[in-house]
Amino acid sequence: MKVLSYLILALAFVGCVLSEGEGEERARLLAAKRVHNLYLVEGRDIVVQYSVHNVGQAAAINVQLTDAGFSTEDFDIAGGQLQVKFDRIAPNANVSHTVVVKPKKYGYFNFTAAEVSYQPSEDSAEIQIGYTSEPGEGGIIAFRDYDRKFSPHVFDWLIFALLMIPALLVPYMMWYNIKSKYATVPRGKKGRSD
Amino acid sequence: MFPGMKKLLLLLLLVLPLIITTSGGKMTAWAQEDEVEGEEDDLSDDEVNVDDGTGAEIDTAEGGEEEEEEEEEATAKGSPDADTVILFTKPVGSGTELPAGKLVEFLVGFTNNGDKDFILDAIDASFRYPMDFNFYIQNFTAIPYNRAVKPRQEATVMYSFYPAEAFAARPLGLTVNLAYHDADGNAFLEAVFNQTVSIVELDEGMDGETFFLYVFMLAFSVLLLVAGHHFLSSFGHRKGGKKVVVEMGTTKRDDVDYDWLPKEVLNEIKKTPRQSPRQRKVNRDASSK
Repeated sequence: MKVLSYLILALAFVGCVLSEGEGEERARLLAAKRVHNLYLVEGRDIVVQYSVHNVGQAAAINVQLTDAGFSTEDFDIAGGQLQVKFDRIAPNANVSHTVVVKPKKYGYFNFTAAEVSYQPSEDSAEIQIGYTSEPGEGGIIAFRDYDRKFSPHVFDWLIFALLMIPALLVPYMMWYNIKSKYATVPRGKKGRSD
Repeated sequence: MFPGMKKLLLLLLLVLPLIITTSGGKMTAWAQEDEVEGEEDDLSDDEVNVDDGTGAEIDTAEGGEEEEEEEEEATAKGSPDADTVILFTKPVGSGTELPAGKLVEFLVGFTNNGDKDFILDAIDASFRYPMDFNFYIQNFTAIPYNRAVKPRQEATVMYSFYPAEAFAARPLGLTVNLAYHDADGNAFLEAVFNQTVSIVELDEGMDGETFFLYVFMLAFSVLLLVAGHHFLSSFGHRKGGKKVVVEMGTTKRDDVDYDWLPKEVLNEIKKTPRQSPRQRKVNRDASSK
């Protein structure tokens, strides 16, 4: 009797699961594009990271990530690729991809979304197209301005030191002359003779 | 009796799952649709965009709850052609526990299942009082996105904010609203996230506060040592000095304290006979000439 009731429960559970799982299983990708630099400087590296999260129930197949936002006339690619392919992203998994670019000129630049295309399940032929998040507009500072703020200023300090030499040397020489004039009298004798 | 019962049960066993599997989807969907309808009855408001097919999903069911609270600020709600999903990337998890004073970041995915363009306008997040979601505790900046999503495409937007440290160890209602409109100009406001979250305090080994507490304690102990040393040494001196400080006038000439003079000077003084200062001056003048 007991066994039977358990069986009923188990079968009912199976039935429920089956009925719930009726919906088509699809992959669902969320893609984020992040710019990791605090200062965007002309001619310096900018690290751009793409992370793709699969929040669907099925694996995403042939995920292709393409970023057309960095044109070759504005940017040099210092590392990584702007077009990358992941064969498969399992459900609840995520992948990330990093590109390092160097801006060629300064000014405001609008960082736009990259495109993600994938097949939402193993046996589906349709290609889902999605877009990553947009980091938005960022100001790229001229290298000159950045350097003025953040360089160690070695050359400036050197000039400063050179300029300071006469100002320090002249009083020192004056003092040294006076000192050597009076240092000839031995102090010990003076004390005793008094 | 018993064998007959067994057969009956076995039959039931076979029939029940069959019934469930054949009409299962509809059955569960009905139950949830009922819920939504019940709420709509409660509201009894002019709701144009009633969920139809997609109403069976839990996401939209939550959305239905949310719209109850959003009623007075926006009559619009999620479009049936749009599908939204939220994912907390920082901290990773369901988003029910957020660290106080640390960056919270989430992604909102938007899928256009209709045949018209959608334009994502903005996301705004706000902390509400968990007992009464109409009571705002903190509003976060609404970030404008202005992104078009074509039919059968999807887009992701990112939003991040810092929960204030003052909210540590408190439950708060977090509401994230996604505002968008379609090509016809119908505006929608969908609650992507509407839950009570708890703000947790991350305990690090060494934060600024404790560091400076230790620095202060160290400085205080050093100060105590210095003060103690000063007090002890001055106390000892006073004991010795007290005997000497007895004013005797100039009657007793030998009673002058010469302790502070170096020995050579004392010898010098003993050797040279006492003379008046005036005479001494004359002597010095003579020697310098």
